[in-house]
Amino acid sequence: MEKFFNPQSVAVIGASVSEGKPGNVVLRNMLDNAYKGKIFLVNPRGGQIEGRLVAKSIEDLPAGIDQAIVTLPAALVPETVLALGEKGIKAVVLAASGFAEVNEMGEGLQADLAEAIKESGVRVLGPNTTGHISVPANFTSSFFPIGKLRRGSVSYIAQTGNFCGISIRHLSSAENFGVARSCGLGNKVDLNESDILDFYGQDPETKSIFMYLESVANPTRFLRVARRVSQHKPVFLLKGGASDAGAQAALAHTGSLAADGRIVDGAIAQAGITRLSKYSQLFHVAKALDVMALPKGNRVSFLSPSGAFTVCLTDICRDLGLDVPKLEEKTRKRLQDLAPPFIRMRNPVDIFGSVGMHGYEVAYKDALEAVLIDRNIDAVVAILMLTTETGIPDLNFIPQLAKRYPVKPIYVTFMGEHKHNIAAKELLEPLGVPCYLEVEQPFEVLSLLADCRRKMRRA
Amino acid sequence: MSSRTKKIIDTAIKRGQRALTEYESKRVLAAYGIPVSREVLVASASQARSAAKKIKYPVVLKACSADEAHKTEKGLVAVNLSSQKELNEAWTALNKKAGRGYDGNWLVQEMVKGPREIMIGMHRDPGFGPSVMFGLGGIFTEILQDVIFRVAPLRKKDARDMLRGIRACKILDEIRGMPSADKEVLVHALMAVGQIALDHPEIEEIDINPLILKGAKPIAVDGLIVLSGV
Repeated sequence: MEKFFNPQSVAVIGASVSEGKPGNVVLRNMLDNAYKGKIFLVNPRGGQIEGRLVAKSIEDLPAGIDQAIVTLPAALVPETVLALGEKGIKAVVLAASGFAEVNEMGEGLQADLAEAIKESGVRVLGPNTTGHISVPANFTSSFFPIGKLRRGSVSYIAQTGNFCGISIRHLSSAENFGVARSCGLGNKVDLNESDILDFYGQDPETKSIFMYLESVANPTRFLRVARRVSQHKPVFLLKGGASDAGAQAALAHTGSLAADGRIVDGAIAQAGITRLSKYSQLFHVAKALDVMALPKGNRVSFLSPSGAFTVCLTDICRDLGLDVPKLEEKTRKRLQDLAPPFIRMRNPVDIFGSVGMHGYEVAYKDALEAVLIDRNIDAVVAILMLTTETGIPDLNFIPQLAKRYPVKPIYVTFMGEHKHNIAAKELLEPLGVPCYLEVEQPFEVLSLLADCRRKMRRA
Repeated sequence: MSSRTKKIIDTAIKRGQRALTEYESKRVLAAYGIPVSREVLVASASQARSAAKKIKYPVVLKACSADEAHKTEKGLVAVNLSSQKELNEAWTALNKKAGRGYDGNWLVQEMVKGPREIMIGMHRDPGFGPSVMFGLGGIFTEILQDVIFRVAPLRKKDARDMLRGIRACKILDEIRGMPSADKEVLVHALMAVGQIALDHPEIEEIDINPLILKGAKPIAVDGLIVLSGV
């Protein structure tokens, strides 16, 4: 696994001069991410790419290369794997599609590939994968233009190329958090989710793990590995193909058959894995865990500038299994001291009156600190009201409080003028405060995190 | 693994049975400590009468044969027989219904009464292996599909999670004057069903339905063990 996630040298088999071709994008991605290892390129035409000499064949490569990324068409893949094995390259990423996910001919080709893997003793990621990402090593094998990646503590395992492709672009540009590792499993002809999960479980760079799977290659082993890893790291799973129609789509997508959904449900719960139900949760929950702690429990407080929110979000908390408990008396007193006497301060915190009396920053800051200190509370959501007319406060007090009380997460959401919401999000997220544009989202996230905490305790 | 259980299964396989009879199935369940209804296998009316006397009325009379998996659907069950007279009548009626070709035996069984019916099952998943199922029993198993699975071997907490995990989990609590179900017995039964499947790869499916709560005590009233088609 070290050779996959921390390679000292790598060869691109099928390197290309043409911009946009996989054999070229791979190289660009590595250069964009300032990969420090040695890069070798192979193309029968030889010549130069990006000012680097190109070897004409695998035999011409020097010995001792850690990893190869193969961007050749499917038909050439089995013989290439054999050649790489002979060269002593033991870690191979196979980008090509056109195997078992397509047709019978592809199935035959996949069987040949399996045979070549066995014979050569190489380990293979793919085929039919966009590759993988290892930010601490400044490395990626992805052939999707992903740009410079942000380093974080979240790692992905996905039976899709999205998390080495479009979804990585989304989370680094729209959600402002980073990843440690990401791995597109492809057709899992050799390495599968259990291998990667096992590695992430022992990986000091990985603090939490998110999976998108459509099938499980070796269910018994997966259960065993997941049960072990979920005891000390949060593990989340979105299972694709849970519905009959989804299962049909999964068959077409990665050529995998879905097991009985109810048995899968049971096995996932047993393994201490927290189940996700929406694709967007793969980054909304991940964003919360990249920068903030996992809350100790399900007891929430929130600051709201609207009476309606205090009511309907309390309803939502209840539906989501979150508790909105009574505050300690000293907290309540502190909140009441800042509020007009006609508003009875309690949890959830109606902050409107205090803002009117003391201004935005003083009111929110003091109330936020009061509930963070409260022993009945595990996590806090601040709903900000930002409009040009009421003025935009200096929001730096939020990341400052987050640093002072690292055990209890703070999430921010908004109701107000969109441009200010976006600006606040862009300011706060890089400073380590996850923001959500819809008011229910942070509560949904907290509910999943509380579920995760329960599962980890029981695992 | 008990050698008694292995003997029951091996004999059934030798005879070419696709499933164990209810009587055989329950002997396997009982060998693993799952409470089953008291019952006696009989071949004649006189044997049935003396069995009923021993078990005490009311009793149930059921066909018991390797080919009669769905007794209720064929109507070869008579319940709540409260006297020797009723037993005699049921004997005649059921034998007539079964026809001359019927070569199986009959079961005389205690009549277990209780308004709460639950079920425990096992399905051998091609990937996950033996998976234990728990849910509401009787006709509600099919109607409400309120079931939960865990993969064997089950730990105690897995079994406890199952009991809490169905939507209708309150059925096991103290409710309407009925006592809370004996959870320890249920936990043991769930773990045992997983263990039976792990010990005996020849078993394809287990279906204990219904498991009736007689007061607090769960009792397997019907049981079916299906063998893999080898």
